Amino acid sequence: MPDGFYQYIRGATEVVPAGYTEAGMRAYRYLVFLGASQMIEVHYPELRQQLGEAAWKELIQAFVRQSAWTSHYYGDLKDEFLAFLARQTDAENT
Amino acid sequence: MAGLGYRKEMADWDMSVVQADFFEVAPENWIRRDRTPLYQLMESGRPVRLHGVSLSLGGQGAIQHDFLKAVRALMDDLDTTYYSDHLAASGDAHQLYDLFPIPFTDQEVVRLSDRIKEVQDVLGLRIAVENTTYYTNVGEMSEVEFLMKVVEKADCNILLDINNIAVNHKNHQLTEVQHFLSQVDMQRVTYMHVAGHEFDERFGLYIDTHSEHVETETREVALALHRQHGTPILLEWDNDIPSLATLNQELSCLTAFTNT
Repeated sequence: MPDGFYQYIRGATEVVPAGYTEAGMRAYRYLVFLGASQMIEVHYPELRQQLGEAAWKELIQAFVRQSAWTSHYYGDLKDEFLAFLARQTDAENT
Repeated sequence: MAGLGYRKEMADWDMSVVQADFFEVAPENWIRRDRTPLYQLMESGRPVRLHGVSLSLGGQGAIQHDFLKAVRALMDDLDTTYYSDHLAASGDAHQLYDLFPIPFTDQEVVRLSDRIKEVQDVLGLRIAVENTTYYTNVGEMSEVEFLMKVVEKADCNILLDINNIAVNHKNHQLTEVQHFLSQVDMQRVTYMHVAGHEFDERFGLYIDTHSEHVETETREVALALHRQHGTPILLEWDNDIPSLATLNQELSCLTAFTNT
């Protein structure tokens, strides 16, 4: 499978990999976003409201783009999210 | 005989009135959780089988033996020999917690069957792989040809998802449900999945949401296979879970005429 497949799903490129349909690729990108969004919202229910829809969407998209977790346990996503936020904060402070 | 995918949303239900003969749970959800609800199902004489969601047989990351050992311990605890996962990838080398298509190529047949064999070696038993829904894919052979080549090479079983065959046909118009089934070795099929799906106009695709009633054709196909081969049927309803009464009604449609 070409690297471009997951690059598209992560939102790191807008180039649809050869042989795949744009509609199918958009569906996968959406499903991954939805899964991450729902899981983070379960753990931090107030965050979405505090940020507002636009900022929330941007945050989840940024998280999905650079995520690199390997745990089999979906719930561990929240720890990855915390690590992601810490990296973001570090980047802003340097 | 009809089974039901058990969800934690059912924790408050009186499961003794749920008309299912067996249940299925995702090991990922129970390895670290209090298993009392599962023990109660077992005490009522109804077995609990495992159906995983994160094994990533088609992924690039190494098979995690520690995880499989935890699955094996759970199987022993639940006294089951049934463990299945999807013929799909969960991401690249990392987990994106969804099910992505594996290119239908001979190269992937070899890679996938080697990974399945590795899993079976660690567990010390045969697993089943489920045919999945895919929204776009590439390859040099049909989905069912790919499925059969993989399971024969790996010598593993099949968890036959009738809804996924129907969704793929609606989306891609490539393989009729009956043609797909005519290529499947039913001797390898442990049991069948049925579920409902929804059309998403944003993508112009039917999405495998497990949030709806089972379509009549899917139900009838499953019942016909059950009558012919005795293969059990399990209902998956994972999102927008309906009332207990609605689920029981759906289950009764899946058990109707199955004993004749």
